[in-house]
Amino acid sequence: MEPAAHQVPGTDSAGEADGMRGIAALSLPARIFVAIAVAVVTVGVAFHVAMVFLQTAPDNTISKRHADVVDSYVYPEFERNWKLFAPNPLQQNVAVHARATVAKEDGGTETTGWVNLSAMDGEAIDGNPAPSHTQQNELRRAWEFYVDNHDEKGKPYGLRGRLSEQYIKRIVMLRFGSELNGGSVERVQVRSAVTPVAPPKWSEEKADLRTQYSVQPWWQVTSADLPGGAK
Amino acid sequence: MGPGGPAPGVAGLRVRIERCVSRGLTRVTAHALGPYQTAIVRIGFGAAWLLFLLREWPHRHELYGPDGPWSFGLGKQLVETNKSFTVLLWSGSTSWFELVYAVAMASAAAMMLGWHTRISSVLFMVGVLSLQNRSVFMGDGGDNVIHLMAMYLVLTRCAQVWSLDARRARRAEENAARAAAHEVAQKAEHQAAQEGGHEAAQENAPYHVPHQAHAGAAVPANAVAATGGVVLWAVLGAILLGGTIAGALSTGWALFFWALWAAHGLWWCLERAAVRGGEAVREARTVCDILANLAHNGVLLVIMVEVCLIYSTAGWYKIQGSRWQDGTAVYYPMNLDYFTPWPELSHLLAGSGVMIFLVTYGTVITQVAFPFTLFNRRVKNVLLAFMILEHLSIAVLLGLPFFSLAMIAADAVFLPTVFLVWAGRHAGALGGRLRGLLPGARRPGPDAAAPPAPGWPAMAPPGPRTPQAPRTPPQPSAGPAPGESGSASGESGPAPRKFASAPRESGAAWRASGTVPGTSE
Repeated sequence: MEPAAHQVPGTDSAGEADGMRGIAALSLPARIFVAIAVAVVTVGVAFHVAMVFLQTAPDNTISKRHADVVDSYVYPEFERNWKLFAPNPLQQNVAVHARATVAKEDGGTETTGWVNLSAMDGEAIDGNPAPSHTQQNELRRAWEFYVDNHDEKGKPYGLRGRLSEQYIKRIVMLRFGSELNGGSVERVQVRSAVTPVAPPKWSEEKADLRTQYSVQPWWQVTSADLPGGAK
Repeated sequence: MGPGGPAPGVAGLRVRIERCVSRGLTRVTAHALGPYQTAIVRIGFGAAWLLFLLREWPHRHELYGPDGPWSFGLGKQLVETNKSFTVLLWSGSTSWFELVYAVAMASAAAMMLGWHTRISSVLFMVGVLSLQNRSVFMGDGGDNVIHLMAMYLVLTRCAQVWSLDARRARRAEENAARAAAHEVAQKAEHQAAQEGGHEAAQENAPYHVPHQAHAGAAVPANAVAATGGVVLWAVLGAILLGGTIAGALSTGWALFFWALWAAHGLWWCLERAAVRGGEAVREARTVCDILANLAHNGVLLVIMVEVCLIYSTAGWYKIQGSRWQDGTAVYYPMNLDYFTPWPELSHLLAGSGVMIFLVTYGTVITQVAFPFTLFNRRVKNVLLAFMILEHLSIAVLLGLPFFSLAMIAADAVFLPTVFLVWAGRHAGALGGRLRGLLPGARRPGPDAAAPPAPGWPAMAPPGPRTPQAPRTPPQPSAGPAPGESGSASGESGPAPRKFASAPRESGAAWRASGTVPGTSE
């Protein structure tokens, strides 16, 4: 950085000339320091942008080659994790149903009917200008988490699979409560009910609109699954 | 370039490149660019997060509390694998949770108002990350954007305008100007005889003139605020020390927080020392100011790129989707139970094939095109208006008000300065009028929401080729330190002379400080 007077002939703004004299007015060590800072910031910004770009872009030559660098930099804080409407918007209503077996006081057990928990969310959202995350995201995203970490037969993949199972159980128990139909809840079972959205009436598409159920195994309820028993 | 004269052409090119580089360097070192844009982003995200936390107040335990469905134990196991940052897992007690939630709300309010912003922004980030990382499966796209921006805002000087910090700085400056004027009047006679050589020396170093002229008087006026900042800083240092000793922070985060803490302390010391100190101290302060500007400008660029990435990747992925291609994509969300708070309205829109087609194609075109329209100011503004409108309708139709608010706040980084200044002036006038209606209203004068002085050269519309780089001389204000005196970034301001015609206080302040060296005027 040389004295500015020679570098900025005819600057169009007094402010710029002023600032340039500002740098030029610094001592040599200070100018070197500023130069290093400019370099550091430039490299830092370029690196950050490159990493974030590679994480969001589709898998490609570069992002595959440097996957470990990209991942270790971007995760967990710089992640971008939503693709609600891309490449295609969700085209089916995914509902989560649950039922329970309860132990009656007379010693008998009873299996309740299926309860549509998502429909309860839907009711809470109807006419609500600002739905809560507990209504709009909690069960919906918990189920996505569960499905992503289980195979078709309901077997969990590793830690995340087990965590998602316990999470779903706790959501169900929060909504059922430990007492149901005059008995205490011993086991719960969930299923998903997936109903495709009917094609628009102006299109000629035909679609099978029947609801597909995916029933998960029965789960034993422990005190850790109850609200308050979570530590 | 003609074949006849390549040599002068090359030389001309070299000169031009040199000029560009030096101009660019000047820009990014002397100014924290986009003062209005960063301010509106700060206010927008502060508001989005605050409103969200208020709305979720009745549900806060279910979302983030130790006994929510995503329990303390579940959160702990997941965070151990992904190493994300959250102070909520430091303790499973309910009171700790309540405290963190309260601090998150307070910091969001402080961000909106621009109160001790350099500190509030750190707390804001801690609050956002702590709550979101604690229960990562409660969030949606809106939370994700807030998460990113909360981190970026920490490194920006986002309170240069429309903030309590800016108001404090302005008042300090006014006081300083008054004091200086007073001093000048008193000393004029004495100085007249001795001024000659001294004056010439100062002419050659205008960089230091402004703060030298008024910093001395600014400190007492700002003493209370400065003390408040120092107390805040000390308390946070103690908490940080506790967290570090307890081993609650990862090495990376500990380094980051300690670096911020040290930088704040250093800046405060330099601000103090520069009042009386010699050339070396003032230079150190200037260098720190340049560093803060550099960080701000770098991060501002990152924010802009991030917004472009959000749109362009969304667009690129959509283009590959068959429903976006056949023009029915928008029909489907209108029929999802989780995203139709107003089913009749949604079905009304979904009933029109042409309407759905137009919105579907319009969305993809806008998203893919947006980054490229930044090269043309006018087209960019049209698309920006379109996207903000689209997000407003998403807020209502899909029941996603906080997501939409966050996206609009992010979009706002691309709003033109002229528009922001205009909007700020009207908001300020409206605020003043409302305050006037209140009983016991003292003065409708400048405050957080008040417009900047109308005479500012800032209002000159930015040139067409630099849509995001307002020529705005950043108002001397929120520096990176808690207890900054009003003279922050004084030297990064424009030549005092420039303000000679500014009709209002800030201009007067500058004029006063500008006249100090040249008392012979």
